Amino acid sequence: MTAAGLPATASSRPAGWWGMALFITTEATLFGAIFSTYVYLWLRSPRWPPQGIAPTKPFYPLLLTALLVATSVPVHGAFRSARAGAAGRAVALLLLAVAVQCSYLAGQFVLFAHDLDRMPPDRSAYASTYFTMLGTHHAHVVAGIALELWFALRLTRGVNRYRLVGLHATTLYWDFVIVAGLILVALQLAPR
Amino acid sequence: MKRGFFQPRSLVAGLIVVGLAGCGGNQDALHPASGAERSIADLWWVMLIGSAIGFGSVLFLLVLGWRRRGRKTSPPSNAKLETTLVVTLGVGIPVVVLLSLFVYSDVFVMRSTAAPTPGSTRMTIDVIGHDWWWEVRYPGTPVVTANEIHIPVGSAVNVVGTTADVIHSFWVPQLNRKIDLIPGRTNRVLLEADRPGRFRGQCSEFCGLQHAHMAVLVIAEPRARFRAWLANQEKPARPPATGEERLGLRLFQTQACAGCHTIRGTTARGTIGPDLTHLASRGTLAALTLPNTPAALRSWITDPDHAKPGVKMPALPLTGSQLDALTAYLGSLR
Amino acid sequence: MTAVDLPVGPQRVERLERIWTPRPGVLGWLTTTDHKRIGLLYLFATLMFFAAGGVEALTMRTQLAQANEKLVGPGTFDELLTMHGITMIFLFIIPITTGAFGNYLVPLMIGARDMAFPRMNALSFWLFLASGCFLYAGFALGAAPNAGWFDYVPLALKQYDPGSNIDFYALGLILNGASSTAAAINFIATIFKLRAPGMSLNRMPLFCYAVLAVAFALLLALPALTLDCIFLELQRRLGFHFFDVAGGGDPLLWQYLFWIFGHPEVYIIVLPAFGIATSIIPTFARRRMVAFPLVAMAELLVAFIGFGVFAHHMFATGLATITLVFFAAASMLVVIPSTIQVYAWLLTVATGAPRFRAPLLFIGGFVVFFVLGGLTGIMFTAIPFDQALTDTYFVVAHFHFIIFGAAVFPILGGLYYWFPKVTGRLYHERLAIVSFWVTFVGTTLTFFPMHIVGLLGMTRRVYTYEPGLGWDAYNLAETIGGFTLAAGLLLILGNLVWSRFNGEPCGPDPFHGGTLEWTVPSPPPHYNFAVIPTVRSPYPNWDRTDAGYDLERGGLVLDAGHETPSTEVRDARLEEILSMPSESPWPIVLAACVVLAFVMLLAGHVLITAVFGVLGALTLGAWHLHEPEET
Repeated sequence: MTAAGLPATASSRPAGWWGMALFITTEATLFGAIFSTYVYLWLRSPRWPPQGIAPTKPFYPLLLTALLVATSVPVHGAFRSARAGAAGRAVALLLLAVAVQCSYLAGQFVLFAHDLDRMPPDRSAYASTYFTMLGTHHAHVVAGIALELWFALRLTRGVNRYRLVGLHATTLYWDFVIVAGLILVALQLAPR
Repeated sequence: MKRGFFQPRSLVAGLIVVGLAGCGGNQDALHPASGAERSIADLWWVMLIGSAIGFGSVLFLLVLGWRRRGRKTSPPSNAKLETTLVVTLGVGIPVVVLLSLFVYSDVFVMRSTAAPTPGSTRMTIDVIGHDWWWEVRYPGTPVVTANEIHIPVGSAVNVVGTTADVIHSFWVPQLNRKIDLIPGRTNRVLLEADRPGRFRGQCSEFCGLQHAHMAVLVIAEPRARFRAWLANQEKPARPPATGEERLGLRLFQTQACAGCHTIRGTTARGTIGPDLTHLASRGTLAALTLPNTPAALRSWITDPDHAKPGVKMPALPLTGSQLDALTAYLGSLR
Repeated sequence: MTAVDLPVGPQRVERLERIWTPRPGVLGWLTTTDHKRIGLLYLFATLMFFAAGGVEALTMRTQLAQANEKLVGPGTFDELLTMHGITMIFLFIIPITTGAFGNYLVPLMIGARDMAFPRMNALSFWLFLASGCFLYAGFALGAAPNAGWFDYVPLALKQYDPGSNIDFYALGLILNGASSTAAAINFIATIFKLRAPGMSLNRMPLFCYAVLAVAFALLLALPALTLDCIFLELQRRLGFHFFDVAGGGDPLLWQYLFWIFGHPEVYIIVLPAFGIATSIIPTFARRRMVAFPLVAMAELLVAFIGFGVFAHHMFATGLATITLVFFAAASMLVVIPSTIQVYAWLLTVATGAPRFRAPLLFIGGFVVFFVLGGLTGIMFTAIPFDQALTDTYFVVAHFHFIIFGAAVFPILGGLYYWFPKVTGRLYHERLAIVSFWVTFVGTTLTFFPMHIVGLLGMTRRVYTYEPGLGWDAYNLAETIGGFTLAAGLLLILGNLVWSRFNGEPCGPDPFHGGTLEWTVPSPPPHYNFAVIPTVRSPYPNWDRTDAGYDLERGGLVLDAGHETPSTEVRDARLEEILSMPSESPWPIVLAACVVLAFVMLLAGHVLITAVFGVLGALTLGAWHLHEPEET
């Protein structure tokens, strides 16, 4: 406590939360710029995708995105559990989220490889932007999984304020990644 | 009377300098030779006067502050008055001034400098930017030339610009504003000289090593003179008249020259470098870098890199007599 | 500091001293997380880059002093002009205003003991230094960036620039951007959460408002540049198609993304200068800033509106008329917050009791140059005028009046102003005034003739020019001006170095400033404040000295550890006590991993890049293993 004996009421938005919120702001701007590039080049092209490239089939991308959105439940659940002091349950929920997100990634990598085959990125601006857009998002998913694994590891030692703020920041991060993923799949499938 | 400045020697020297400069023409944006540029120059003078007034107000306050430096303490402040002053000076007056400037420049002046719509002028010229020269074409005729544009005085000419490589910018300060030459796009600018003259311009978008040596000359001449010039340019190249010139042509066609340059009427059909069909009718070489004299032409062919380091044209290993023949032939291409 | 001066008992101060004393020696500096040390590291590094940029400038000016001069060839000149721009913008002015001034002063001005994320602060510095070394490594290898600081395509594509020059550019700027992004996050979190109790947002110093605006602008602008550079590298190295028409791309895409970053960038450059001006003026005018809330709001508005004007850099590219008109109108709108500030500053001086000591003289020079540069800026909102004079020396004059005149002059004034606070000694006043005049004359002589020579048709980025076009005399004058300016800067440097060792010792408050940094000893103790102040106005030191207000009423000594309070965002009510890290090796280690990854990426060794990436991730893990103590 403070020397003056003042009670310090823990803030719901401590500096660590702000740090993540601001990081998300800048990353969201990055995604905004990539999405805008895709739309800009689309509007300037006579055909998008260009002649010879079939539009992406919607089924698997939509399925995988639904899977990703669903992981929002265990991620938020993990934070709520940790906040209530249930470290064990928090760890389990985090690991569940990680498992589902890894399946999401695996599916995306299969689609990615398949797409690379049918439309090499060094042949058209459409493919270049398509893969850059997807690749950036996948990289953010990998980072998010790393964050979850880290906190799962740390929470096995119990909950404290530092880990709790970090986990809160992680849930915020996942909310952002999921929203970006929704816009991504919409742009991926929109040109037909 | 002081004679120092006006001694004949310095006058001659001055004339030579001016003459050389006159070779290339003037690039002074405030010496307009067209209606469009005149409206830009007028805009500048109006803005200059306005700026002087604005700066004067700031100077006044600075001097006021300087004069107050003897004060020991600040007088009591009147927050309401201060805020009113700040809002009046900082918002009120600028809004009025900016609004007026906006209407004057971005509504009215812009109309006189606007790109001509296709088909609105009797004459169109295509300009294609290259590293580091200007390809000039007169659509509707077979005329292709480089770095020197002739236009009839008093005629509205639509210059349609694009580029063959990187972004360049076409600017002839005395005639109008600049247009960027961008891959995959065409931009248009109006050239309408209201008096005869030679007007120098320069590439205005950094385009690599020899951006500094990519100048262009626009020659506005009376209609009859222009038509004569155009008619001459339409003709294919003069056939060589002397033995030396014939040798020169043969060299041109068999050496590397024909791979890059076109001379209409010969087998030389290269398109990488400028069209040389009427090279001798042009006043300069290498985009106004060198005067078009036999000596300069000779040194250019021997070692282009000397005058324009980094230029794409390779040096050719020719003997003295080969060079004589080549320069004689090229010198005959009026 | 005698026992009589101490605001709390000597044992508590001694405990604070012990807790906050840094690790000794070089290791202490390499692992520091103290915002003051980091600020000084930034200061020395940025001044070195300033010198490099200055040498580049003087070399160019010597080459241009006469027509057809042969001092340097076009290849070298192109590298010089590009590196001059990159150095001055990314390696000097942004890091000195945010990293040096911002880091050193913001915690002191808000009554905190450090920044919100001290280790990330250190990381920002090491990443910045690494980015500078990375970019200059290009010079050493004869492959310095050479397509101009805004690096337009197609000139920057592999086809026209096959060497690794542009790869140094793109990767170097991405690295530099990461440093600035981390710094921006740190400043916002610090300003939001670490202000002393009672320092509600409307009582925050104007310098902090400027830093806040800059930080938000950096967060929202840098991604556009980063993405542009990513696209460029993908196109150059892997043959992707973003900028070539044949592949379905567009060369203007580079320009749009670049200027979406580039225009806010110029406000990022000038806003901290506004902040320094608004710190110096009330002190030397001896009165509170006129229309304080308007000035604070104007600082934020400049950054905000500045995002909507970017296409005015593209007026000659053939955009549609409606686009041109929209951006011209927005560019006029952004003038208003600046004119508000100019008149507020001038009225403060004119209605106060001004003392024209060196810092205020530099602010006077700043106002002159800012107004002149602003007026030519307004001229450029007239579209036909812009379309005629863009890419000439007229615009070079405009932006140098703003960047040098309006951004560097306050920095020079600020160096003098806060010199006593940092060193505990006064600078030599007479020499400082002389140094001002030499610098002022040099600046005017260097950059004013550029307006004329631009109107006479001289285009920019030319390594030489023809005689007889009327440009010769002006160019010579500009070169003489450049050397005069350099002399002025050397005088300033000489004064500061001499005074560091021989200046008259001074106390905490030699100029009677109003903000919190003047309430602590000079130089500040490592813990900044023995008692965290409780604030009731934007001028807490004046409240204390002139109105007898007790800043220490809160009694927050916080000597249980490395602590500083965290407060609520709007009204700064106390929320919790934060435990801060002290020295840590992880920031410099992480920076090393990152820069090595970039070097490997430049060289094309993807696998080794990945190795360094993994090492970096492990370092991040080690970093977060050390958790703050719970109280």
